[in-house]
Amino acid sequence: MPVAAIQTSKLSKDYGLGHGLFDLDLTISPQEVFGFLGPNGAGKSTAIRCLMGMIRPTRGSAHIFGLDCLRDSVAVKRKVGYMPGDMPQFGSLRGREVVAYLGGMRGNVDPTLVRKIAERFDLDLGRRFREYSSGNKKKLGIVLAFMHKPELLILDEPTGGLDPLNQQEFYRLLNETREAGAAIFLSSHILSEVEHVCDRVGIIRSGRLVKVAELDEIHNIRVLRLEIEFAPDTKVPEAAIRSAAGVDDVVVEDNKVTCTVKGAFDPLLKALSATTVINLVSHEPSLEEVFLTYYRPDAPAEAVTR
Amino acid sequence: MTAMRLALRLGQWGLIGFAVVAFIFTFINAVGFYAVAGHTPAEREAFANSFAQIAAQLTVLLPPATRLDTVGGYTQYRAFGSLVIMFSIWALASASGAARGNEDRGLVDVILATGVSRVRALAAQVAAFAIAGFVAALAASAGLMVGAIAGQESFPIVPAIEAAVVLSAIAVSCYALVLLVAQLVPSRMAAGTAGAVLLALFLLNSLSRTFDSLHRLRWISPFRYYELSTPLPPGGTFDVTATLVLFAIAIVACSLAALAFRKRDLGSALFAFRAVARPPTYEPSRAIVWRVPVLRDLYDRRLGIATWAIGLAAMAALFVVLTRTIVQPLLSIPGLATYFAALLHGPIYQAFLSSLWFGVAQLLMAGFAITQVGRWSAEDTDGRLELILSTPVSRTRVVIERALVLAVGALIIAAASGAAVGIESNFQSIDLDGGRLAEASLMLVPVTLVFAAVGALLAARLPRAAVGILGTFAFVSYLMLQVGPIFKMPDWFGDLSAFKLYGQPLTEGIDQTGLAIMVAIVLAAFWASAVVMRRRDIGS
Repeated sequence: MPVAAIQTSKLSKDYGLGHGLFDLDLTISPQEVFGFLGPNGAGKSTAIRCLMGMIRPTRGSAHIFGLDCLRDSVAVKRKVGYMPGDMPQFGSLRGREVVAYLGGMRGNVDPTLVRKIAERFDLDLGRRFREYSSGNKKKLGIVLAFMHKPELLILDEPTGGLDPLNQQEFYRLLNETREAGAAIFLSSHILSEVEHVCDRVGIIRSGRLVKVAELDEIHNIRVLRLEIEFAPDTKVPEAAIRSAAGVDDVVVEDNKVTCTVKGAFDPLLKALSATTVINLVSHEPSLEEVFLTYYRPDAPAEAVTR
Repeated sequence: MTAMRLALRLGQWGLIGFAVVAFIFTFINAVGFYAVAGHTPAEREAFANSFAQIAAQLTVLLPPATRLDTVGGYTQYRAFGSLVIMFSIWALASASGAARGNEDRGLVDVILATGVSRVRALAAQVAAFAIAGFVAALAASAGLMVGAIAGQESFPIVPAIEAAVVLSAIAVSCYALVLLVAQLVPSRMAAGTAGAVLLALFLLNSLSRTFDSLHRLRWISPFRYYELSTPLPPGGTFDVTATLVLFAIAIVACSLAALAFRKRDLGSALFAFRAVARPPTYEPSRAIVWRVPVLRDLYDRRLGIATWAIGLAAMAALFVVLTRTIVQPLLSIPGLATYFAALLHGPIYQAFLSSLWFGVAQLLMAGFAITQVGRWSAEDTDGRLELILSTPVSRTRVVIERALVLAVGALIIAAASGAAVGIESNFQSIDLDGGRLAEASLMLVPVTLVFAAVGALLAARLPRAAVGILGTFAFVSYLMLQVGPIFKMPDWFGDLSAFKLYGQPLTEGIDQTGLAIMVAIVLAAFWASAVVMRRRDIGS
């Protein structure tokens, strides 16, 4: 059985007052692309910084390819390409000097690969870091993370600041990297991002992992939004709609009703059976809507782990 | 008002720090006066006469002294003569940070996005600094008054306030000039260019006291108008016109700065050169320096180290020239022979250089160490250290490499200043022992490393407070050496100063005990720093 790319056991970092990361149990296989989703402050970066050995967990452990993230941190980093959420300042150094500086520390960097990635994203490495836009700083972060063909990529919100074309290019790069054999751990708060590339998704809320699911499974937890238009002479059965199981967020406006439906359609169809419906539009949920359902502050953690 | 409150909030630690330092500085000088000048009018007159002869030789750097037989005259000369330099440096740091540093951090965008006009934003910064400068200057005057009370005298409040007004006027005048210069040049050059302008204006006024050819130009310098007022000595003057000129300089410079700020793009200089078109580069740098540990960091810091080396070499040469200029006339004064005998050891020129230049050089090298510690702290807080540690490099190795980079940098600077002393001494026909000079210069390296090692420990434990604590440590160490002889403190008091470990290598050779203690401190503190680094969370 191959060694897991990432394995955490009860990994926790307690900052007090309920902030931090709590009891993260996660296993990510080699060649898997794992999306780590959560809103700002949910604990995504804390988890990543524990994996990178930047911060010491309060309890629990984290291993990358069987190596302890703290004790074997140097060996771990030979295998990992890392992209932080925010690029640090490199002042008047030019992009090519930043690459050479960190490449010199890392060793085994292929200049041809650097050139290919820089060309692909049209990143001029001859410019000074302070002249780079936020998008170009992100591109430099991509070069630094991928330049040594790592076995595992840990990417903290990698596409923030990239324009849509470069985002697409980045997704293509991720797919190629995965096909070449690397595992990818990618944090994001943009669900459409993980739709493009991830095999599995973990949702983290208030420092706790509330759901790990295949991408299809996330899609199947559907919350459909319906727009129902009744015939002009029909009385809208508002009470029946509101009382139908799984129906929520009902808004009635003249002869139009909008609502959400979770689970089976039967109860709603029965409520509509005695009326004349002239139009019914069902919107497929985006992952954002699924995600927001998970993140409603009033949604209990146990309810969403079903 | 909100913009001004924000500016005051951002500058609160500068205000607190400078107010405390100014208070302590004038207080110690005032108390020191009673300790060294004696208590009878005759003793004080004798002290004033002796001191005035030394002061007369130093007019190339400091304004002339008056009524040194009084606490007011003594403090005006000893404390307020130096405070003007400190306040100018504060103005330089604050104004360049406010004009361009905040812009680089995106703070100015946020402020302007709230609907505050550029002129109002700039005026708020100036007003905040004027308030801060006046409060810190009042603290300086308060230090004098409390010191006088400690000496069982009272000091009148009006001249104390006048001194505070003049000090804050020169500070705000310098602030406005820096603000103006910072609008004209690219961000990375703002502090350096403005600093060069302030230094030139300071030297223009100082040197005009010695060189007649500069007399007719000195009206350009705001420092000239500062020294026209000497309110602290009895019968001293508070030149209202000169003080108003300082405020007028501030208003004119601010108005021009506001005009330039309105005209230029955020993030750009008023006079920006169009970038030369060139094809994009996709290749990483192939320079071999980036692959060699220590060398790559030295190369990264080459400009900073070169600036320090050239600056210290230039100052070293200047001090050699001053030694010749100052000591020669002093030797003809028989009464001063005893004074020198008590303070200096060995041949007079060598002893003077040892005491004067190498005393200042230690302070400057401590300053170099503090700037490097500031960089280490910044690497931690801005995320650069995190990216470095994402490569296969251990935290211990980071600490060791930092120490080695600093040691080599200090060696380059010490060697450059030592060479300058040797060459200029030869020109000035001052006979120096080459071996001793080499020892004295090389001994600056362990002194620098002591401060760096303490700083490394602080940067590992408290990165955000490291520079402040280390700066205080250096200031207190320096002060202990200065006040020890004045207050006739026991030897052990002076021995607590980090600078004491340096000894007098130029005249007495290397102090083996001091060197051993320094090596022990350096090893212990860097080792502790590595241990703390291994255990702590990065970026917290």
